[in-house]
Amino acid sequence: MDRRDGACGRQHVFLVPEYLKDASKKMKNGLMFVKLVNPCSGEGAIYLFNMCLPQLFEIKVFKEKHHSWFINESVQSGGLLHFATPMDPLFLLLHYLMKAGKEGKFQPIDQVVMDDVFPNCILLLKLPELEKLLRHVTEEKEIDKKKYYKYSKEKTLKWLEKKVHQTVAALKTNNVNVGARVQSTAFFFGDQASTDKEEDYIRYAHGLISDYIPKELSDDLSKYLKLPAPPASVPNPPSKVAAQRQQKNK
Amino acid sequence: MESSDEESVDRRRVHLRPFTLRSPAPVTLHLLPCEVPVSRPAPVGRFFTPAIRQGPYGLEASFRGRSLRGEEVAVPPGLVGYVMTEEQGEVSVGKQDFSEGSEEDHELEEQEVMESPETLERDFDRFIGATASFSSFTLWGLETIPGPDSKVRGALTWPSLAAAIHAQVPED
Repeated sequence: MDRRDGACGRQHVFLVPEYLKDASKKMKNGLMFVKLVNPCSGEGAIYLFNMCLPQLFEIKVFKEKHHSWFINESVQSGGLLHFATPMDPLFLLLHYLMKAGKEGKFQPIDQVVMDDVFPNCILLLKLPELEKLLRHVTEEKEIDKKKYYKYSKEKTLKWLEKKVHQTVAALKTNNVNVGARVQSTAFFFGDQASTDKEEDYIRYAHGLISDYIPKELSDDLSKYLKLPAPPASVPNPPSKVAAQRQQKNK
Repeated sequence: MESSDEESVDRRRVHLRPFTLRSPAPVTLHLLPCEVPVSRPAPVGRFFTPAIRQGPYGLEASFRGRSLRGEEVAVPPGLVGYVMTEEQGEVSVGKQDFSEGSEEDHELEEQEVMESPETLERDFDRFIGATASFSSFTLWGLETIPGPDSKVRGALTWPSLAAAIHAQVPED
């Protein structure tokens, strides 16, 4: 949260999923904003946890220069718009699994997800179907009914490839412009541009997902998807801009 | 990761009071194309709202002598808008403080945290609540309505993209 002005009652404008409103009817508490690691940068970021479902939400902040809110009979500087959107917790678990994976041995998950800087990471262990999630990115072993996990780069790349494809599908249904090149080639060459276009979608989706994984894994994924080196000026995907702004805002 | 710096440890949680989400009063929101550097009460209903007119190209208003053009923008489907305000002053509802105690105790307490939602709140935590809700806001531009390429409108498409990025993928 931005604590820049000490003035009383700073107002935050939020957009949250509608079902949180329904869920709130049944709960007394258990909704909370916590600081956890940003799996891309390794720095801190704010997330919203719903301990009753349980579910993790990412908080992104829209911030553009020269904006302010009128909120009823008040003015709120900054013009910030916060989004709370469901987040796949596996991106955060992956951050810890990759760190632990450098030792190359099988470990219980509660020994992997430990963090002196962001101790609230233990909340991740409370998530339902944790074992099912981990299967996407780890090798597992069971000894005396206790599960041990080891990061698997091969499985992780397969998992990320599926993520890229489902993101491509969403980019298409939402008619997101994935690059100036798409429009111009489509304009000049009509349908012939379709193969180029697919590649642009994949590159754009790769860019979006790279916001949730470390740089080294992003590079590996790029090779795995057989993406050629990007052209000189690739416009930043919208979420990238938002994320950078969010960091600057801290 | 640097973890040597004790100051950087962030255990704090900001609890969102669920009951405040149930039926907060509707709020009128305007997103202005200029920075007002301070946040404070303002007589919006006396100076700004009465000057809003329906013109041929959308809403018209003025602020500090400059002409504004605007349009009502709906919150994307599946989402609800809230204005949230942090509760002021020291709130003492905490059950335990984890900052002291041996490593073993520590683990035990963390266990309790996981088990009971009641112990999720600690002394040093803060609280936030929704004070109002909205399903649309008025987006203003200087002299013209912000176009389809404007960053605000782009940001409003984020939740649908995020849903695809974070949806679970099928297992092999």
